[in-house]
Parts: sequence; C-alpha cells; structure tokens
Amino acid sequence: MSVLSPRNLLFALYVVVCAFALTWPGYDLLGNRLEPFVFGLPFTLAWNVGWVLATFMVLLLYHSTRPRV
Amino acid sequence: MPSSYVVLSVSLAYLVASLVIGMWPGRKASGTAEGYVAGDRSLGLVLMYFITGATIFSAFAFLGGPGWAYSRGAAAFYILGYGALGFVPFYFLGPRAARVGRAYGFVTQAEMVAERFRMPAIAGVMAVVSVIAFVPYLALQMKGAGYVLSAVTRGGIPEWAGAALVYGVVLAYVLRSGVLGVGWTNTFQGIFMMALAWGLGLYLPHRLYGGVGEMFRRIAVERPELLKAPGLAYDGSPWNWGDYSTAVIVSIIGFSFWPHLFMKAFTSRDERTLRRTVVLYPTFQIFLVPLFLIGFCGVLFASAPDKPDQILPHMLMNMEIPALLVGLFCAGALAASMSSGDAMAHAASSIAIRDGVVRALGATPDPHRQRTLIRWTVVAVMVASYVVAVIYQGSLVFLLLSAYGAVVQFAPGVTACLFSRRATGEGVLTGLLVGSAVTVLFVAYPELKPWPVHAGIYGLVPNLVTLILVSAFRRSGDPEKDEAFLSVASG
Repeated sequence: MSVLSPRNLLFALYVVVCAFALTWPGYDLLGNRLEPFVFGLPFTLAWNVGWVLATFMVLLLYHSTRPRV
Repeated sequence: MPSSYVVLSVSLAYLVASLVIGMWPGRKASGTAEGYVAGDRSLGLVLMYFITGATIFSAFAFLGGPGWAYSRGAAAFYILGYGALGFVPFYFLGPRAARVGRAYGFVTQAEMVAERFRMPAIAGVMAVVSVIAFVPYLALQMKGAGYVLSAVTRGGIPEWAGAALVYGVVLAYVLRSGVLGVGWTNTFQGIFMMALAWGLGLYLPHRLYGGVGEMFRRIAVERPELLKAPGLAYDGSPWNWGDYSTAVIVSIIGFSFWPHLFMKAFTSRDERTLRRTVVLYPTFQIFLVPLFLIGFCGVLFASAPDKPDQILPHMLMNMEIPALLVGLFCAGALAASMSSGDAMAHAASSIAIRDGVVRALGATPDPHRQRTLIRWTVVAVMVASYVVAVIYQGSLVFLLLSAYGAVVQFAPGVTACLFSRRATGEGVLTGLLVGSAVTVLFVAYPELKPWPVHAGIYGLVPNLVTLILVSAFRRSGDPEKDEAFLSVASG
C-alpha cells in the first residue's frame, strides 16, 4: 500500500482545492457574492455549507474505498 | 414577557435529566484510571460522534456563533470554513494514536509523545499548556450558563448562582461516571441542541421577517457589508482577508490537537469507529447554519443588546413568544455549555494527573489511586474555573487565544511522534517552546505583526524549523525503540 497511491493523491488534491476555495483568493473570486440565493441562503453562506457537505461526501468515498488488509 | 416559572421549570427539568443520564453509566466502567479516562477503550460510533461533536459546540457556539453573525456578519463563516477540513488530520492521526495507545496503555496525547521520545519534560510542558488552556475555557462556559439563567429570569437567579447550579450537576456526573458520563450526556445534549438550534433558526426568521430568504434580502439592502466576506472586525471596521484566511488554515491544522479531542482516540472501540467518527463529523458542522440564522435575525431587530453575545436571549425576552419556547432555548444553551464544560473538566484533570504528576514528576500511584487523584483534580479544576468565572475581571478571551495559540503548537510534535523516524525529543520540545513563545507574543502584541496573519502561523513556522534543525543535530538515543513504536503505530 503506497502513500502515493492514486486514491491518496486524489484525496490530497481535494483537500488543497477545498482549502483554496475557503480562503483568499479562492473564496473571494468564486464564492463571495450574494446571488443566486440557495434555499434562502445568500451564495456566500451556501458556498461554505456546500464545501462542508462536499467534504463529507469525499470522506465517505475515501473511507469506503480504503484498501483492506 | 414570558413567565419565569415556566422557563425555570423547563431548565430545571433539563438539568435533572442530564444528571440522571450522566450518573447512570458510572457503574459499568472499571475502577481504574483507564476506565475513568478512556472508558476502557470501548466507545462505539454513536457515543464517539456526539462526544466529539457536542464537545466542540460549546456555549461559545450557542451564544458566540449568533453573536458573531450579528455583529461581524460573514466573518463568522470562517468557523464553518475550517470546520469542513478541521477534523480531517485526525483521520490519519487517530488510528495510529489508538494503536500505540492500546499497546502502551496511553490515555492522553502528551504521555504518548513523552514515551515515544523518552522525555517526560514534554509531557510536563504539554500538561501545563493544556491546563492553562482549559481553565479560562471552562470559566467561559460557566459564565455562559450563569448568564443565560440570569437573563431568562430577568436577574431572578444571579449569574454566580446559575453557574454554581449548572456546574454542580456537571461535577456530579463527571465525578461519578468519567468519560462515559460525559459521552452519554453529550449524546442527549447534542440531540437536544441540534433540535433546538434548527427550531429557533427557522422559527425566528419566519416570525420576524417572513422567511430566511426575505431576511437576507432585507439585510442585503440595509446592511450589505455584513454579507460580504471576510465580514467585519471586532470594532466594526472591515476585516482583512489575511486574518480570515490564516484563521481558517491555523484552525484546520490545530483543531485535532485539542487535548480533550485528541484523547478521544484512546476511547474508541476500534479504528473503524474512529475513522467513521471523522467521516461523520462535517454533518455536525451544519448545525452552525441555524445559529448564524439566529444571529442574522438580530441585525434588523428593533433593539440591540449590551453585548453581541446576548443577541439570542435578548430577542427571546423582547418578543411575544411562549414561555415554553424560552425555557427550551435556555435548556439548549445550558446543554451547549455543559457538553463542552464536562469534557474540559474531565480532560484537564486526566492530563494534570497522568501527564503532570505521573509522567513528568515520576510518581507511580496504582490505577485505582490514580482514578481517585483524577477525581479530586476534577473538583479542583472546577473550583478554580468557577473562581475565575466569578471573580476575574480581565479578558478571558486573551487567555483563551494565547492558550489556543499554544495548543496549535502541539501539531508538529505530535505528528512527528506518530510518523517521523528522525524527529527527536530535543527537537520536539524546543520547537514547542519556541512556537508557543512566538504565538503568545503576537497574541499579546498584535501590533508587532509584520503581516495580517494569525498569531498561530507565526508560531508554527519557527516551531517546525526548530524541530527539524535540532532533530538533525541530535540523533535519537535508541533507534530500536523508535522503530518498535512506529511499527506499532502503522499497524
């Protein structure tokens, strides 16, 4: 089981993208606006909620595909 | 104005329920320190989920979360932002820590690090930092509980009496049941808080503005600066992206190393449970959304409270709403305060005895005697925090930020302990000391910071550099033991 397996690299890539999206400049460029409203929430709040949910999905996927020894 | 009697009855009923639930599991754990601190390493997914989740949702989240959204707007979103990734490092650290914990009998983070590097002084330093971090934090939880009871009874119960009442209950179940008491009450309190936060978070915008979307539309017209990240600073001026972004990053790095959280690696039944807890953790974060909604409700509310943290009780006490609902809110805020306070009192005492007395000072009480000592320390920690809460007039937030900055500095050493062959005790210890000193300096004198970056980052960089450099010059005294430790860690 290699640390640099495609599964681990993809996960690391997700973490980097997510951290970029939640901080400057990613958040300011892509998420920092009011419209469109999502379920009544301004886009900037929904953006953060979306990344929390995305992390949950990715972790679920990462966890369920772990190599069994 | 809601009737104080109904409000008080609901709150008291809630306290009694917590007490009963917390006292029940005491008989099942073994009479040793391992039983009291780590629940004999037997906790399943439900308890693990709520113990990690509810522990974090403190009085700070329940009162401070709405307070931030109300006064600083989008700045509050940073809590949600770091929460997305905050527990991810634990997915990799937790199972390793659990394996060495089982093999070597660890129940705290610091004793693990001290054993790996055969250096008791590390445990001593980490114990001191942890206890200094926990006392002001616990004092804040007590103040929160006292404040809520006092507010909803319009001063009928003074703050000191409210805090004493609520924390008397916490003391009783933590003393009796240890981590299992904390786990079962947190499960009950966690479910209660979530239901209540969602209830209020949807009810208040509907009642005051006709819906969540309508509320945000009005804020966007009247106070647009609140909805634009990175929001506002404490003084109401625009916050900067540097501080916002590095606050997110430093929290993602440091979050898993909070001692009361990290040591839950040693309570879990198995690795699978531990990993699933991390996977499920983001679902607990979503619970911040209704708390933000509550805070945003206050933005255009007819009157303003004295302090932003009082926005929720302020609105409830100034609206025509059923007393039962106010009572439930009060119970929810108490739940938030108690579910963090209990874990901190428990962790601080376990750490003081296991890391401070046993590890750093070299005392060797038997496991039953250790449990007795830890229980006495629970009483001492609670009393000390209570005294701080009632008497200390200075800034608790300063103590808290300094301590949190120092806790973040655990990250490099603990990670090295579980992953690195090359790191040495001297490197870890000097890194920790240098990093903590730099962080505390910049917390105390923020005007000295060359760039608007979180104080914890200024500490982490020299911490890591020192760790690597000192480790490079001082070879480990016993590479075989290091090898054995790391092979246990990797399973």
